[in-house]
Amino acid sequence: MNPFAFLSALLGRGPQLDDEQRRRLQRLASPPPLDGRPLQTQRFVVLDLETSGLNVERDIVLSIGAVLIEDGAIDFGRQFECTLQRQLKTVTESVLIHGIPPSALARGVAPAEALLQLMEFAGDCVFLAYHAPFDQRMLTRALKTELGYRLQHPFFDIADLAPMLFPEAFVQRGGLDHWIDYFKLSMAQRHHASADALATAEIALILFNRARRMELDNVYQLSQRLAHWHRSRSAAQHAL
Amino acid sequence: MSKADAFAEAGKTAVLQNIQGTIQFLQAFPPFDQMEAGHLGFLVENCQLRFYAAGDPVLRPADGRVEYMYVVKQGHVIGQRPSPTGSGMQNTLEIAVGECFPMGALVGERPTRTDYLAAEDTFCLQLNREAFARLLGLSVPFRDFAMRGVSSLLDQVNQQVQLKAAETLGAQYSLDTRLGELASRSPVTCTSGTRLRDAVRLMHEQHVGSLIMVDGQQRPIGIFTLRDLRRVIADGSGDLQVPLDLLMIPDPFHLPPSATAFDAALAMTQRHIAHVCVVEDERLVGVISERDLFSLQRVDLVHLARTISSAGSVAALAALRGDIAHLIDNMLAHGASPAQLTHIISLLNDHTVSRVIELTIARLGDPGVPFTWLVFGSEGRREQTLHTDQDNAILFEAANQAEAERIRQRLLPLAREINQALDQCGFTLCKGDIMAGNPELCLSRQEWLRRFAGIIHNPNPEHLLHSTIFFDLRAVWGPSEGCKVLVDSLLEMIADSALFQRMMAGNAMLHRPPIGRFRDFVVASRGAEKDTLDLKIEGLTPFVDGARILALAHGISESNTLERFRLLAERGVIEAKDAASFEEAYHFIQLIRMQQHQLQERAGKPLSNRLDPDTLNTLDRRILRESFRQAQRLQTRLSVRYQL
Repeated sequence: MNPFAFLSALLGRGPQLDDEQRRRLQRLASPPPLDGRPLQTQRFVVLDLETSGLNVERDIVLSIGAVLIEDGAIDFGRQFECTLQRQLKTVTESVLIHGIPPSALARGVAPAEALLQLMEFAGDCVFLAYHAPFDQRMLTRALKTELGYRLQHPFFDIADLAPMLFPEAFVQRGGLDHWIDYFKLSMAQRHHASADALATAEIALILFNRARRMELDNVYQLSQRLAHWHRSRSAAQHAL
Repeated sequence: MSKADAFAEAGKTAVLQNIQGTIQFLQAFPPFDQMEAGHLGFLVENCQLRFYAAGDPVLRPADGRVEYMYVVKQGHVIGQRPSPTGSGMQNTLEIAVGECFPMGALVGERPTRTDYLAAEDTFCLQLNREAFARLLGLSVPFRDFAMRGVSSLLDQVNQQVQLKAAETLGAQYSLDTRLGELASRSPVTCTSGTRLRDAVRLMHEQHVGSLIMVDGQQRPIGIFTLRDLRRVIADGSGDLQVPLDLLMIPDPFHLPPSATAFDAALAMTQRHIAHVCVVEDERLVGVISERDLFSLQRVDLVHLARTISSAGSVAALAALRGDIAHLIDNMLAHGASPAQLTHIISLLNDHTVSRVIELTIARLGDPGVPFTWLVFGSEGRREQTLHTDQDNAILFEAANQAEAERIRQRLLPLAREINQALDQCGFTLCKGDIMAGNPELCLSRQEWLRRFAGIIHNPNPEHLLHSTIFFDLRAVWGPSEGCKVLVDSLLEMIADSALFQRMMAGNAMLHRPPIGRFRDFVVASRGAEKDTLDLKIEGLTPFVDGARILALAHGISESNTLERFRLLAERGVIEAKDAASFEEAYHFIQLIRMQQHQLQERAGKPLSNRLDPDTLNTLDRRILRESFRQAQRLQTRLSVRYQL
C-alpha cells in the first residue's frame, strides 16, 4: 500500500463502493489485445484529463473529457465529460490553466462514480491521448485509489504517432497547439477537457488515414513501428 | 432530483460543450442559421465526424442507397459525373465548408449519381438516414431546404432583398402583388343608355376617376374616365344628355386577377392608359388605376413613361434620366426581378429613343422617306441596365442601289443628329461607331441582307464579333415589317450554314465562367482588378452567347435571352428544367450586378461590372458559384452539340 492509499484508508476514504457499483466494476470489459484487427474496427477512446497539477504522484484528476472513435469516425452522440467532486485545499495557479473553478468541483460527480462511468464508456477500447503517459499514470492512480481497479488498457501517444506519421511537419515534441495549427483545425474553445479531446480525436482520424496509406492498418503494426521509431530516435539523439 | 438523475444531468451539460461548438459552427450557414437550437442539437448529437485525405472518395454511386447526409466541416469536396462526351469525368459540383450533400439522392432514397471526393484534407459531419428523416419532420426550414435545394436558396435571396426594401420604405407590397388582392373594392359601373350627366354625378359621388359600362352578364363593354370627360368638354360637345355609349372607350383593356401589379404597370405604360379592368370568367371584378399603383409603388412608372413620350425638348428628356434611375432604385428595392427591371429600362429607353427621333424630325424637318430605327446588342435583347451605350442603325426600303444611295444621303444628317441627341440623354456614343449616323449602318433592306450574308458565309473573327452585336436586333421606331422580313431571311441563311453555326458556337465558348477546379472563384491575380471577376463578360455573356447561337440555329426570331431559353425548351432543343436553371442563374448574376451598380451610383463611383466575390455574404457567394456552374453546363452542352 502506498502512503497516499494508506492515508486514505486511515481517514476512511478508501474505495467505498456500494453493492451496485461493485457489480458494475465486475462487469467492466477486459482490455483489448494489441492484435491485427483493422483500425477501422478498433474502438478508440481519446482521453483528456484536467488535473490539479503536473505531479503524477500528488496531483489529482479534476475532470475527464473523452471522445469515442468507432467505425473510423468520431461519434458526436457518445462523448463523455465529467467534472469530479473535489475539495482542493489550495487553489494553485493551475486553476488558470484547467479553468475549473472550485465551485464547479464542489458540484461535480463523486470520483468513484465518475471513474466507473468512464470505464463503462471506454469498454474494450485502446486509449489515445496527447502526452499519453501523463494521462495513463494519472488515470491508473485514480482508478487504483477510488475503485481498487488495475488499469491495463493500452495507451497510444498522439504526441508520438503524429511526428512518426508526419515527419514532414518537423514538429518534434511540440504541444497539441502545434498540431492543431499544422492540420489547420478550427477549434471552438481550447483548454477545456472535452474540446481538447475532440481536437486530439480529429488529429487521430488524420493519423489513422495516413497509417492506412502506409499499410500500418492495425494497432499491432502501429505499436511495432512506434517502438522502432523510439529506438532510432534515441539512437540518433545519442549519436549527437 | 435523484442522485442518478443528477449524474445524468451533469453528464449531459458537459457533453453539450462540444455539441455547442459544432452548433455554433453550423449556425453560420443556411439552412442551419434558420433552424431552432433544439433541432440543431438533435442534428449534432446524431452526427459522426469523419476525415478524408485529399483525393479520398467520400461517396460513390456504387455505395448503393445513400445512408448519410454530409456537411463539410473543414476542407472542400468536389462532385464528379461522367462527361457527356463519354471520356472521363468532369467536375459538376464544388462543396465548400458548411454545405450539405447529396440532398436529392437522400430525399429520393437512392444511390447518388455523383462521385464525391475530397479535394483537400477534409472533415465531414455525417447524419444518418433515420435522424435525417426525423429532422425533416421536426424542422420546417430544414425540410424546405432539403426538398427544394438551391432554388430554396434563391427564394431566400429574394426574400432578403424584399425584406431590405420593406425596412427602408416601410411598404409591405411588391410588384408581384396579385391584382385580385389590389382591386378588392367593387368597381363602379353603369349600364348602356346612361346619360353623361348621371355618369359624372356617379363618379363624383363615388370618388372614382373611371366608370365601367357593363352588360347584363357583368361583362365590361366600355370605360369612361375623367380624362375622357376633359376631352368631351374640350371638344365643345358637352351635351349632358348624350348617352355614355357614344363617348366611352369600347372594349376596355383587361387582365385576370392572377396578373400582377407589374403586369398592370407594364400594360399602362405600353398602351398609354390609366385604368385596367380586372376580369374573371368574362365578368368584371375590379378596376386598377394608375393611382392605385402609384400609391403601391411610390414610383410613377406610367407617369414617367407619359412624360417621356410628351417631352418638349431633348434637354427635358435628358433631365428625365435621373427619374429613371430613381425609379429603378425603388423598383429594385421593391423586389422587382432583374428581368422586370431590364425590361422596364428597355421600355423607357424605347420611349426616350422614339421621342428623340420625333423631336429631331420636328427640328430638322421630315426627310420624306419612311425609315426604321433598329437597335442591336443589349438594347436589341431588351436587357439594358442604366449603364448603356448606343448600338443602333437605320433600315429603309429602296428599289435599287442608286435609290438607296440617294435615300441614305438624305437620312444620314438626321441620323447623326439623333445620335448626338441620344448622347445628351445618357446613351453614350458607341466607341465602335455602331450607330445609325455611320453610312455603313444606314442601309436598305437589300444592303442589310448582303451584309448579313457576308458575315455568315465568311465567319472570320471580326465577322463573328459583329454577329454577336447585329444578330440581336429589333425595330424601335418606324414601320416594323421590313425588320421582320430581314430577320426571317437571316434565320434561313443561318439554318443553311452549318459552318457558321459551329463557328458561332465556338465563339460562345470564348468567355469561360470564372470558377476553377479546386478553388471557389477564378479572379484576376494582379493589377487594379486584382481579386475581382467580371460579372458581365464572364458571368452573363456565356448565357447570352449560348442562347443566341441555339436560337438562331433553330429559327427563333426572339432576341431576349430568357425568351430564347423559354422558346428553345418549348421546341425541345433544351430540356425545360435546364431552361429554368439557366434562367435562375442568369437572373441571379444580373441581380448581383444591378445591386452593385446601385451601390456604385449612390457612392458616386463609376459603374463597373467587376466584383470581388469575397464582399458577398456566404449565401450569395454560394448561389453565384452555382450560377456560374450553370453557365459552364450550358457551354458543355454546346461543345457536345457542335463537337467542339
